[in-house]
Amino acid sequence: MTQRNLVQAGQLAIKSGNPGNQSMTPDTEKRQGDHSDSQTDLQLVRKVRNGDRAAFDLLVVKYQSRVASIISRYVYDSQEVMDLTQETFVKAFRAIERFRGDSAFYTWLYRIAVNTAKNYLESRGRRPQGSADSAEAENFDDGSRLRDTASPERLLQREQLQKELNRAIAQLPEELRSAFLLREYDGLSYEDIAGILECPIGTVRSRIFRARDAVDKHLGPLLNHSVT
Amino acid sequence: MDDRLRETLSAMMDDEADELSVRRLLSHDSQDEVRAQWQRWQDVRDLMHDGHSPAHGMDVSVAVRELLDGRGSATARPDPAVQDNKASRWHWPAAAMVAMALLVGFGAGAGWDSSGAGPVQPVTAAAPETSVQDQPIREIALQGLDEEQWEYMSRYLLEHAQHNSVGAGRGAVGYARLVSANGVGY
Repeated sequence: MTQRNLVQAGQLAIKSGNPGNQSMTPDTEKRQGDHSDSQTDLQLVRKVRNGDRAAFDLLVVKYQSRVASIISRYVYDSQEVMDLTQETFVKAFRAIERFRGDSAFYTWLYRIAVNTAKNYLESRGRRPQGSADSAEAENFDDGSRLRDTASPERLLQREQLQKELNRAIAQLPEELRSAFLLREYDGLSYEDIAGILECPIGTVRSRIFRARDAVDKHLGPLLNHSVT
Repeated sequence: MDDRLRETLSAMMDDEADELSVRRLLSHDSQDEVRAQWQRWQDVRDLMHDGHSPAHGMDVSVAVRELLDGRGSATARPDPAVQDNKASRWHWPAAAMVAMALLVGFGAGAGWDSSGAGPVQPVTAAAPETSVQDQPIREIALQGLDEEQWEYMSRYLLEHAQHNSVGAGRGAVGYARLVSANGVGY
């Protein structure tokens, strides 16, 4: 079962009880919730400013993949990508007092990443290409370069993970799967999901957590991190 | 980490956690556990949306943390934090040189009589060992010190070393210089 089929399965199950809902289209593959994460980010930024390093850790974990993907559009060597990703976060940490919250944290981070990559290329006498505008940050397609340059082993691993993920989602009880997919693929708020599923917000919250937990347990052994 | 906290973390993933819950979560004892759970869920999310494996080796969070703590060496490119570390390696040799200069100056200033004392080995705290035998013997004659002078010198050097070990940051004034400038106690 593909991701799209899973989405359709989840949504069709929901639609059968809520035919009037127009927000759920099968084509909704982009993570709509991406840009509504500002509240959590701002909470974490506030903690970082108060000296909470653990909060910054969470921001790094959350955005490292996307930052690496941005940088990989400028720099193709994987070690350089990694170094510049690190540098981006170090710069962000040191400049976090200057983050005013006018834009989303990710947009701000995106600019730092692009400028870091460009400065690096200029220092190497290489001409940087591309631009760092916030609109691009909002619509940035993650990881295309990383996907292209992945080794055969990685591709195989990714394929295996993808299959296991689909299997894990398919095995979820229907009520968990519906809540989870509405959140992940449609980016709906807990309140909206509660309205659609006709249950309290707390139940939605609990179902999404349980779904996430089940998927995590299913994928657990495969989600093996190589710490750099 | 209990299920309630993990549920809060899950809500944070979705920007649905309130401030108090976030605070409670971040004050949890085992932040490594929190971070590991957060990372796995982020990986699942990446996999769902971007189709690329989270295991593509892009976990830089530990390296970033180490760099910010000033003990990172993961990056091959120069970084201010790393440069600071390199700079600190000069503190102890510098302290040894100050101690050496102090000994020379102190010996000369106190008017110790070194004539006829015979060849002696220079006393240095951490001077290079390679050229000791080849160098001409200096005008330092610790053998001629009496008990009171030995005690005086030992105390002085000990305080100097303590001062440097505590305040050896960039810009710190060596104890010997400080004392010679103020003339306090000596």
